Amino acid sequence: MKTLSYSQIQEELSPEKLAPLPPLNITILRNITLEPIEPYLRYLGYQMGFNVRTRFGGYDRIFQEAAGEQKDLLNEETDCVLIFLKLETLSWSLARSFPGLSLEQIEVEKERIQDFFVKVLTGIRKQTSGMILWHGFELPVYPALGIIDPQRKAGQTALIQDLNQFLRDTLQQQPNAYFVDLNTCLIRIGARNFYDLRYWHIGKAPYSREALQEIAREVFKYLRPLKGKSKKCLVLDCDHVLWGGTIGEDGLAGIKLGKTYPGSAYYEFQQEILNLYHRGVILALCSKNNEEEVWEVFQKHPEMVLQKEHIATAQINWRDKATNLQQIAADLNIGLDSLVFMDDSDFEIHLIRQTLPEVTVIPLPRDRAIEYREILASCGLFETLALSEEDRNRGMMYRAEAARKQLQRESINLESYYASLEMVLEIRFADEFSIPRIAQLTQKTNQFNLTTRRYSDADIQRLSESDSADVIYLRLRDRFGDSGIVGVCILKYEADQAILDSFLLSCRVLGRGVEEAFLIQCLKRAKLKGSKVAMGEYRPTAKNGQVKDFYLNQAFKPVGVADQVYSFQMDLTTFTRCESQFFKHIDSEIDK
Amino acid sequence: MKERVFQIVSQVLGLPLDQIHEQSSPENIEAWDSLKHMNLILALEEEFGVQFTDEKIVEMLSVKLIMEAVEELLPQVKNDSQR
Repeated sequence: MKTLSYSQIQEELSPEKLAPLPPLNITILRNITLEPIEPYLRYLGYQMGFNVRTRFGGYDRIFQEAAGEQKDLLNEETDCVLIFLKLETLSWSLARSFPGLSLEQIEVEKERIQDFFVKVLTGIRKQTSGMILWHGFELPVYPALGIIDPQRKAGQTALIQDLNQFLRDTLQQQPNAYFVDLNTCLIRIGARNFYDLRYWHIGKAPYSREALQEIAREVFKYLRPLKGKSKKCLVLDCDHVLWGGTIGEDGLAGIKLGKTYPGSAYYEFQQEILNLYHRGVILALCSKNNEEEVWEVFQKHPEMVLQKEHIATAQINWRDKATNLQQIAADLNIGLDSLVFMDDSDFEIHLIRQTLPEVTVIPLPRDRAIEYREILASCGLFETLALSEEDRNRGMMYRAEAARKQLQRESINLESYYASLEMVLEIRFADEFSIPRIAQLTQKTNQFNLTTRRYSDADIQRLSESDSADVIYLRLRDRFGDSGIVGVCILKYEADQAILDSFLLSCRVLGRGVEEAFLIQCLKRAKLKGSKVAMGEYRPTAKNGQVKDFYLNQAFKPVGVADQVYSFQMDLTTFTRCESQFFKHIDSEIDK
Repeated sequence: MKERVFQIVSQVLGLPLDQIHEQSSPENIEAWDSLKHMNLILALEEEFGVQFTDEKIVEMLSVKLIMEAVEELLPQVKNDSQR
């Protein structure tokens, strides 16, 4: 990725461009000078559609800030806290005068630091439920004991690794807190470029601009999924991308693909794509070829890593790629802004940038195929904060969706079609196993989402434990497979009212009566809780136009509009609706 | 070269170009604190593709001194501006 200069960033970031964007509040606690990272955070935030506002804690005042000394630094508006704790400032002896220490002295320092981790983390959590990103210690570039160091359990390197491990474990016990490994940034750049010794000595600012840029990128790999901006689908061209050469001209035996040069570049690239598939990324093809020739490569080429079953949908034809990308988004029922398009042709890259700016485009320079794998691995667009079963099975589920569409074409009567799906709904209250997925759905669902309120794991945990709220999830299975948790409803109870704080469904299960059945279940629950009225809201966003009339269609009465929020109500005292008959089974724990 | 230096000083310090003079320094520009000075040095290094020594960095405390330091590292630029 190209390095941006300070001037270029300043030119890009004008107040007029930033003002209308939603804020992203980042607080930075540090024991080093780190202010020069700010332009990079602001720039990456802008690229993601946010106006980044940074607040810095005092120099080497992490402990005091964690104790709440500076008001307005940490609060519920804080989206993310970055912690930069440099060993040199925290413990000069461990960092720089290690060989002179006795084992006892090392142990005392180690315990002091571990105690510091726990106290600081607890203190921050008391003030904010925002995401915590704690940057672990860097490993010494020249270990204190030289070549003996790596041999020893009590060496400096091993000690720092132990401290990082302790930190990792401590963070894992807190919701929404993550260990950021600065060493991955360091090895990408190399220590000679990572540190700027001049400013380390002049102003205790250790990192070069290149390093700060890389660190900021790493931070945004966490902020992207936090803000629901991770991409869902990778759309790939075929010729010169999945293999070298052109299948139409070079033929099955002539294209470059395999374990040895030059086909190895494409082989390794395909392996990286397959790894993304196993992490829950949907794969699609968009190429100008004769369709049967492409599938012949998939079926017959002995070195193909990707198989037809990994591809959720494909547009292989001679139409323009903008139309084809729109078709792919429609087939998968996802937004254009969830797509990443990779192609080697300048023409296609330019066309998509011009006509579909929502699509993220990654050009693959044809003469640098050996770098394709690196380009994909470094993009940071598909990150998730957890890897759920749903992620692992997503590709399979999208294939099942295609099979369902086939069956729909064959059935004429919708009710009997729905019945033929043999749908089983499982409706449950949130529990420790489902909370991460529920939070993920509130963060990622854009289209069928009435209020688009984003919640963290910690938020969902708190709501599910509250007496005045219910967090309910929906799981769907049918004859084609298990779709996993695909719906969430959050009910808040106030006096005799039940408020539908959130109501959302994953788009791939829409259009077969599931949304209606889920709502009826939730309204039954509200009635059981003694509520007399259910209140629904529609909060318009750029993406959720399809649910504008959802409550009206479900026989709610419109109440009015205030601040762009449309309110609806349903009288529960006379509510007696039942779910449709075409479900095979509704397994609910909330309606009794 | 002079224009580019003025441009960067104005951009980094967030001041209009007409308020920047050769005599501008941390003494007479409030925004020019040590953090801004660091940003200034790094932006200049990017712009001119040079690297100042640590000793030079702490001495470059006015626009005039900055221009001299850049000229030292870029002799061809000096020749251009004299022509």
